[in-house]
Amino acid sequence: MSEEKRSSPIKDFFDDFMLLLFLGVTIYAASYLIWGLMELAWLPPIPDEIKQSLLGR
Amino acid sequence: MAILPPREDWPFQKIARDEKIWMGIAFCVSIFLFLWMIIWHVYAKQNPSFVTYKTTPEEFYQLTKAFIEKYKVGEENGIPVVKPPPGSDVFMIGMQFRWEPVLILKKGEEYRLHISSLDVVHGISIQPVNMNFMVLPKYDYVLTIRPTSSGEFAVICNEFCGIGHHMMIGKIIVEE
Amino acid sequence: MAVAVHDWEKFFRTCDVTGFKVDLRAEKIARLNAVVAVVAFLIAIIAALLLVLTRWQMFHILPVDWYYRVLTLHGLNGLVFWIIFFELAALVFGSTAFLNTRISSPTAGWLGSVLAIIGWLMVNYTIFTGNADVLMTSYAPLKAHPLFYLGMILFAVGALVIVMVFFANLMIWRRENPGQSLPLFVYGLLAAAIIAVVTIASGAIIYIPTLLWSVGIISDIDAAVYRLVWWGLGHPSQQINVSAHVAVWYLLAFLTVGGTSINEKVSRFAFVLYILAINVASAHHLLVDPAVSPVWKVWNTSYVMYLAVFASMIHAFAVPSAIEVAQRRRGYTKGLFEWLKAAPWGNPAFSGLILSMIIFGFIGGITGVVNGMEQTNIIAHNTLSVPGHFKGAVVGGTVLAFMSVTYYLIPLLFRKKIAFYGLAKFVPWLFGIGIAITAVSLYILGAFGIPRRHWDITFSGGPFTFTFNPVVDFFWALFGVGGILAVIGALIWILQVVVSVFFGQPFRGPQDLQIPIAEPPPPSEGEHNGFAAPGTFVLVLLFITAFIIFVALNYGWLAAMWEVK
Repeated sequence: MSEEKRSSPIKDFFDDFMLLLFLGVTIYAASYLIWGLMELAWLPPIPDEIKQSLLGR
Repeated sequence: MAILPPREDWPFQKIARDEKIWMGIAFCVSIFLFLWMIIWHVYAKQNPSFVTYKTTPEEFYQLTKAFIEKYKVGEENGIPVVKPPPGSDVFMIGMQFRWEPVLILKKGEEYRLHISSLDVVHGISIQPVNMNFMVLPKYDYVLTIRPTSSGEFAVICNEFCGIGHHMMIGKIIVEE
Repeated sequence: MAVAVHDWEKFFRTCDVTGFKVDLRAEKIARLNAVVAVVAFLIAIIAALLLVLTRWQMFHILPVDWYYRVLTLHGLNGLVFWIIFFELAALVFGSTAFLNTRISSPTAGWLGSVLAIIGWLMVNYTIFTGNADVLMTSYAPLKAHPLFYLGMILFAVGALVIVMVFFANLMIWRRENPGQSLPLFVYGLLAAAIIAVVTIASGAIIYIPTLLWSVGIISDIDAAVYRLVWWGLGHPSQQINVSAHVAVWYLLAFLTVGGTSINEKVSRFAFVLYILAINVASAHHLLVDPAVSPVWKVWNTSYVMYLAVFASMIHAFAVPSAIEVAQRRRGYTKGLFEWLKAAPWGNPAFSGLILSMIIFGFIGGITGVVNGMEQTNIIAHNTLSVPGHFKGAVVGGTVLAFMSVTYYLIPLLFRKKIAFYGLAKFVPWLFGIGIAITAVSLYILGAFGIPRRHWDITFSGGPFTFTFNPVVDFFWALFGVGGILAVIGALIWILQVVVSVFFGQPFRGPQDLQIPIAEPPPPSEGEHNGFAAPGTFVLVLLFITAFIIFVALNYGWLAAMWEVK
């Protein structure tokens, strides 16, 4: 075929498997893993008024 | 053809009418389900709690012990029975292989149920209302519950916690 | 510098059925992984039979320690080893034969396979000797023998090496075929491979500290951190399956009726959505956990606004419509469903494909979304509804698809004739119907609150007791019958595979082909503007109706429970 190939951003994106690999890993790492671990790290301790009401100190 | 490279113009192929309609329906249902969870979370009365405190097994054990001493009304099969006032902070602890204490609650009243584990991961399953939550060591999970039915309810462990897992059963009594 | 001219041709044979150039070195690696997969499957199936006859309280055959031991064996061999080894075989074979290209590094392929197999053996050994009664999830601080964790790490590393070989193969292909797009089947495998990278990396992140903890170097593993990261292994490992079995569906649609996705852009788009959004659904498992916030839960459990569910629904149209359009071109155009009636139902790969799609969609898919919604998870979490869901999704969907495609792999990959071919047409029905009954009964038992992973629901030896609604006895019996049917189906299939591969007659060429490969249908008569696949359209509308009704029912049940916030 002499006709010039039409370029397509969709094709470029879908065929770029290394970019897809990067995005797949990054979205998971940011949205699930890092966000989740940050929430675990920032939890407060049991409030003092609850402790005082039971332990009376 | 799934096993051969696609036709050259695949990025430009027109989508058939029925496939297009179906994709529209499927997309709308997907977005609706997402919004539905948010709407339910804001307006409805059954949602997993999001109040959690860091604790230690020692601290949580001490608090539970103090809680039991304060409100104890008896004992059943070696397990203390407590009757806390409505609206109070209520403590329940899971350990290999039992739940402590047995709770007596009042129907229609709200309680802040603190649950944690002394050792491994457990699961709290209240039957037959079939409500299930995870119980982790070092995390105090605070469920604000309001029993809406009365009677005797079993508290079953539903996360494998060792060889005696099947013996791990406690009780909540809800009075009218 | 002169480039060494390799005589690659000597590594190839040309397949006399498909015309593909097959790299013999890749073929050997694929065969090894496929054989190990079947052995792992056999262990899982024998374990399954023992488990069915234990949980069905009427028989209750295993003692308590062996129940959990066999359950650990069943979970890991069925849900992890069998499926991943099969996928490793598919990755190696798919990225070479289907692309007419060579394997990038046979050495790495062997290294990965051997590591994974050593890991698999270590894990099975520690479980069998009673040193790892921790179930598949092995939630810390419940502790297993260090060899168990080491085995899991070796398996993961081995699998990762093969995934890397897959990507390297694709790079060779890309260099040799610039500007070309992958065949759809291989594209699906690509999605599976990318998800596998996430899975295996998460596995390494959590199992390495856990190993150090089990030998006493680290003093403590946080239970919530373990659960968060472990599910980055546990759930995406099942998403590898989804991508791989959808790829197999497209392959089977082509092999059995000559069906081709009616729009490759749409099918590829759905795979891209999997790659981007499916992994975060590990959050399904933490919905009733302490610690993580509702915003995190809703965002992640919904695969970022249900994009992956959307993708699955796209495939749900694309695969059957491929079949329908091919059949219509053959002249089966009467009414809505003549194409389906006139389909090659005698071909076990075709009946297996259809059953796999129905069970995955209607049972696995619908229940999965409901179990994985933030609120309805309260009434499903850790009950039998969970195994009910994945019996439908993984066993009915993935396993049945893999079993079906194996009938093509025996002649084309192993170059053997299929032993007892006459039995093959019963296998998908026995296995499919059996597992569908099992899945549905488990789901219903779960709705009655019965816990999963529980040796004795009469709570013998406990301080109190509780009796479930007596109706459950009926569903236990149903569960038992379904389970036994599925086990029989699986055993026939294993027998066929083992006898064919090790003792079978050689496959000498197309004249020995027992399972038919469809001729491509005649070309369509130009573009048309109407519906391409009206029958499929009706079927997917039926599906969406069932879906919405089921979601509504579950929220109705939930609203009857105690109030909690």
